[in-house]
Amino acid sequence: MKETRLGEFEEVILLLVGILAEDAYAFKIAEEFESQTKRAVSIGAVHSALNRLGEKGFLTSEMKEGTAERGGRRKRIYTITASGQRALSEARDFRMALWNQYPAFSTDNLNFNI
Amino acid sequence: MAEEVLGDLDERFYHRTSNQSTRRAKLDYWMQVFNYLRPFALRNFIPKHLLPNLMLKHNLTLTFRNFGRHKSTFLINLIGLSTSLVCAMMIYLWVNDEVSVDKYHQHADRFYQIMEWKELSAGVFVTGSTPGILAETMADEYAEVEYAAVATPASWYSGVTLFVGDKGVKTSGKYVGKDFFEIFTYPILLGNKEHLLDQKHHIVVSESVAKNLFGDAQSAIGKTIEYQREKEFTVSGVFEDIPRNSSEQFDFVLSSEEFKDVNPNAFKWENSGPMTFLLLKEGVDIEAFKAKIAPMLKGKTTEDHRQLIARRYVDAYLYGGYVNGVQSGGRIDYVQFFSLIGILILIIAAINFTNLSTARASRRVKEIGVKKVVGANRRALVFQYLSESIILTFMAAILALLIVWLLLPQFNQITDKQLILHLDTNILVALLLMILSTGVVAGGYPAFYLSGLNPIKVFKSNLFSGRTNFKELFTRKGLVVFQFTLSITLIVAVAVVYKQLEFVQNRDIGYDREHVIHFPREGRTMENLDVFLQELGKVPGVKAATSMGQSMVGGGNTTDMDWKGKDPNSRVHLAIRPVNFGAVEMLGIKIKEGRSFSQDYSLDSASVIFNQTAIDIMGLEDPIGETVGRGEFQFKIIGIMEDFHFQSLQSEVGPLFFCLAPQYTERVVVKLESNATRETIARLEKFYSDYNPGFVFDYTFMDEEYDRLYAAENRVASLGKYFAGVAILISCLGLFGLAAFTAERRVKEIGIRKILGASYFRIIGLLTRDFTGMVLIAILVALPLSYWITSSWLSDFAYKITLEWWFFAGAGVTALLVASLTVGFQTARAAAANPVDCLKDE
Repeated sequence: MKETRLGEFEEVILLLVGILAEDAYAFKIAEEFESQTKRAVSIGAVHSALNRLGEKGFLTSEMKEGTAERGGRRKRIYTITASGQRALSEARDFRMALWNQYPAFSTDNLNFNI
Repeated sequence: MAEEVLGDLDERFYHRTSNQSTRRAKLDYWMQVFNYLRPFALRNFIPKHLLPNLMLKHNLTLTFRNFGRHKSTFLINLIGLSTSLVCAMMIYLWVNDEVSVDKYHQHADRFYQIMEWKELSAGVFVTGSTPGILAETMADEYAEVEYAAVATPASWYSGVTLFVGDKGVKTSGKYVGKDFFEIFTYPILLGNKEHLLDQKHHIVVSESVAKNLFGDAQSAIGKTIEYQREKEFTVSGVFEDIPRNSSEQFDFVLSSEEFKDVNPNAFKWENSGPMTFLLLKEGVDIEAFKAKIAPMLKGKTTEDHRQLIARRYVDAYLYGGYVNGVQSGGRIDYVQFFSLIGILILIIAAINFTNLSTARASRRVKEIGVKKVVGANRRALVFQYLSESIILTFMAAILALLIVWLLLPQFNQITDKQLILHLDTNILVALLLMILSTGVVAGGYPAFYLSGLNPIKVFKSNLFSGRTNFKELFTRKGLVVFQFTLSITLIVAVAVVYKQLEFVQNRDIGYDREHVIHFPREGRTMENLDVFLQELGKVPGVKAATSMGQSMVGGGNTTDMDWKGKDPNSRVHLAIRPVNFGAVEMLGIKIKEGRSFSQDYSLDSASVIFNQTAIDIMGLEDPIGETVGRGEFQFKIIGIMEDFHFQSLQSEVGPLFFCLAPQYTERVVVKLESNATRETIARLEKFYSDYNPGFVFDYTFMDEEYDRLYAAENRVASLGKYFAGVAILISCLGLFGLAAFTAERRVKEIGIRKILGASYFRIIGLLTRDFTGMVLIAILVALPLSYWITSSWLSDFAYKITLEWWFFAGAGVTALLVASLTVGFQTARAAAANPVDCLKDE
């Protein structure tokens, strides 16, 4: 069986796909990633992650009409699948479970910089 | 890269250019591209373009539909390719067999034959004949030698009958040194390899002889075999039958110690007789060894014109030719010649395919246009056309295999081989290579030409309406010219070889060899030769009977001859032919001066007759009555013969003499009445089996023996005939296809011309002109080429035909005729068509 664990980068990408909805194609996702995380990323890396997620069954994709800006070439629009949704919520629940076990739980001095 | 990726990259690029410098944006673009070099992206890249199963199926369908639609083109290609593959396969089988000869001995890399290199007045002469004592002496004197063995050629003792009781078999054998089987690693089935020939009375026989005489090999060991009813030998071993691809074929071997008794002269240093073979130790520097042995004979004799050379035995068969002491050619010439012909014939057929496919290109041009517009890339198209030609070649190959299988017996007869179509890996690999290379050569040009067409031009311009571009036309014409050049050259070559052979075989060679047979002296005929000859003369149908040394074409030579006024430095190779009374008369050799041997003179046993060449070389003023010879052998010259050809016409008549020595004659020669030869031979067989029970009457016709001197040339001629035929056939097939195509394409033009009043012949002329031109150019190219090739072949012959102009003219006219017939058939049909039929539509 294929690996179905969700990596951190993959999790972010998956969430971005959900956020961008109809506009979720590699370039846009990369742009959004850069603006949201302030971290540089190449389209190739994003595309590779999208591809991986597709293989894991968390994403589906279909080709949509392109714009003049991209030489009339079509876009590949990604959509989260049901199992993708489930994987996201599982990841969140798992994280929350960990937070709950953390004794010195305090939102004030939380330094969330992974 | 995938479409969406390119789109993304572009979008990012334009995005960047709006807020960064273009240079930075470009740099970023490339960074992004490099970032895409990830396994998933590359993985997607490859299979998308091949779509293996789908494309293959699609191509196959298209290929077969095309074959079906253009049946004549398909058939022309199929016939052309399969015929040429038949030739190529047969040549491959033959070449393979030639190359395999004598290659199977275990230590081939250090297995050498020692040969003599003699400086004579007429030039340097290289021979495998060496002193019989040489092998054992070399084994003693040189530490480099692991084994050495003397061996007589199998031809010396062929036609020997071995007996067990009343049962006899005709065999040929060799006298060999005791280490023979260490050097020649023929498998020994029975007997101790080290002690096979320890005793003089030992004989080692082949498996089939053992089975023939004793029923099975096992029971042969230790049994006695009678040799020619003269001597007895004990079987000490049995060897596996000598393979077909051995240059020496023999059925038994005897000890060289025995040979010392039979022919002690062969073991004197002054004489050259049997052959010498060495197996050197591993790691011996052969060049140093060669230098060391070269002067060896000088220390053994007083002569200084003989040197020793060594050559690897595996090279002996193919590289057997020596010209004035330097290795040059041999059978390898024929191997190369036929390989070349095979390749050329394949090329001719491949050209047909190329030509017809480019010609048809205009028809498929729309197909290609549509495919390209729909999105086929160039690679897919190349692949499609190549697979089409490879499939066709493959079909042709299967057909060819079938034909080869059917024709192989005839081919074996011509080439005197026993080739079999044995589909082992080697042959299959060779076949596959042949198919692939022919397929690629044939399909290559159309594949790249067609796939390179620009779809817009295809649809816009009138590529398919009549005129073709210059380059295409030039290539197509060039290929036809090339084909016909090859065909014409082959025709001329074959005609010249035929004429020369006819000339050689019908030339008055100076003695009468018609209706003369000869057979070995054996058994009872060894004693009482005179009585036997007298009895033989009484058989009805026999004109005369006598005896001679060996056959006329083969026999001994000597340089041991002195005469009055001889230059002490001159060394002349004189051919010796011992004869009996009546031989000169029977063969119709003309005596120029003096007389022939005669029983009326009691002293004739010390007399000789020279031929004119010998007298000229010796420079004797008044030869009759002179005494010549050396040492105890002194002869009186009693006559001079006119020159006659006792060797192949490749060499000039050499010096020769006859001496009267019935005791040394080995062959009985019989002249038959010219009518009823067959009946006489039947009577002779009967007479012989009564007179010499157990021996088989094994006779040879002298004229056939003479013809056999040209066996190699005859083979070339008869094979060349077929190959030339095939070449012209394939060329014509191609021309036929092209003519048919042109006529078809110009059908409307012809219709309009006819309406406007062009005559039938004018139209034929119009259509034929192109092709005639091509063939004429081919003739112009081919004639000098063929002149050069044939004259260099003829230069090997001392007596030859002159190259007449009409050989070349004839070949040219033949090609032109055949070509016009081929084209004419097509054009006549096109010209005769009713213009209404071709103009009514559209």
